[in-house]
Amino acid sequence: MTEHEPETTPGAEQRGTGSPEPAHQGPATHARSSARHRLLASLRPRPTRGQLVGALLCALLGFAGAVQVRSNQDSDLSGLRQTDLVRILDDVTERSGRLQAEARDLEEARRQIADGTDGSLAALEEARARVDTLGILAGTLPATGPGIEFTISDPAGEVQADVLLDALQELRDAGAEAVDLSSPAGRSVRVVASTALVDEESGRGGAVLVDGTKLEPPYLFRVIGEPRTLAAALDIPGGVLDVLKQRDAQGLVLQRNELTISSLRPAATPEYARPAPQDGDG
Amino acid sequence: MIAALGLVIGIVAGLFLEPTVPLWLQPYLPIAVVAALDAVFGGLRSLLDGIFDDRVFVVSFVANVLVAALIVFLGDQLGVGAQLSTGVVVVLGIRIFSNAAAIRRHLFRA
Repeated sequence: MTEHEPETTPGAEQRGTGSPEPAHQGPATHARSSARHRLLASLRPRPTRGQLVGALLCALLGFAGAVQVRSNQDSDLSGLRQTDLVRILDDVTERSGRLQAEARDLEEARRQIADGTDGSLAALEEARARVDTLGILAGTLPATGPGIEFTISDPAGEVQADVLLDALQELRDAGAEAVDLSSPAGRSVRVVASTALVDEESGRGGAVLVDGTKLEPPYLFRVIGEPRTLAAALDIPGGVLDVLKQRDAQGLVLQRNELTISSLRPAATPEYARPAPQDGDG
Repeated sequence: MIAALGLVIGIVAGLFLEPTVPLWLQPYLPIAVVAALDAVFGGLRSLLDGIFDDRVFVVSFVANVLVAALIVFLGDQLGVGAQLSTGVVVVLGIRIFSNAAAIRRHLFRA
């Protein structure tokens, strides 16, 4: 395409300037020096048409090259052709789809884990509440709350286990949730469903065996429940207080806003009974 | 001398003006630059041969650029633009090397 190659150009294209050169091709040293002479001569600024046109084209080349290099450095995408851009776009779209699917999977897993954790936490909370309730009912946990203190003073020694049992049943009917029976000697017994009240063998009154613990009058019931209801239950006509009066004993009911029962009962481990499997969830 | 000065001025102008390459020119500019580089090396060689002619130089320069751009355009239309661009660059690179070898022989006899 260029006509500067020596195979094609010397005879055909060059008319004026090329005439002396073929004569100098013989000795090597002479040719080299003449070539250098020509280079040096061309380096001398001569405002000829050829020099100006060459300068113009070289300037164009330098400009274009610099612009191309600059735009190539600016961004890698703007220099690419359409097919490459389409391929890159396809790649990016596919990758985006993959990542979106992965994000969906991860969010699903996260949701499941969160649900599972919430369910476990709820179950744990429920189990804890149930343990608390059962512990209070079974007397293995201390209890606190509003209630009454019911003191039975028995100077005549006429109060026996049946009276105490009546009083206890009356209190349970009135919604007693935790009951503690004690005597001034300091011994106190947590009263639960299985508590037994037994007259001591040695004659009339004076002492009661509560679950094997000997209590002596005056007896003190400490009961957690609705205070007014409990007090009213003891005070009904023909009720516990009336019976105590008939037996020359005195009952004193004190309502408390805050009452703590700290006496405990060891948890009995069932020897034969096992939890039966339940249908559905636990 | 004026040509070298023009080259430097062009490079400096391109670096400092920072023009944006128009979109339609972007596929052709790198090939055109390589083609023009080939023309410049050819001109340098003919100068050392003592057969330099400004008219021939201008014609070869413009023709090189246009033919290179035409080949790239054709390749883009045919869907083989990338491969054809590579081919053009390879051919022009070979020519640049051969011209550089001729220049080297002229200057150093080696």
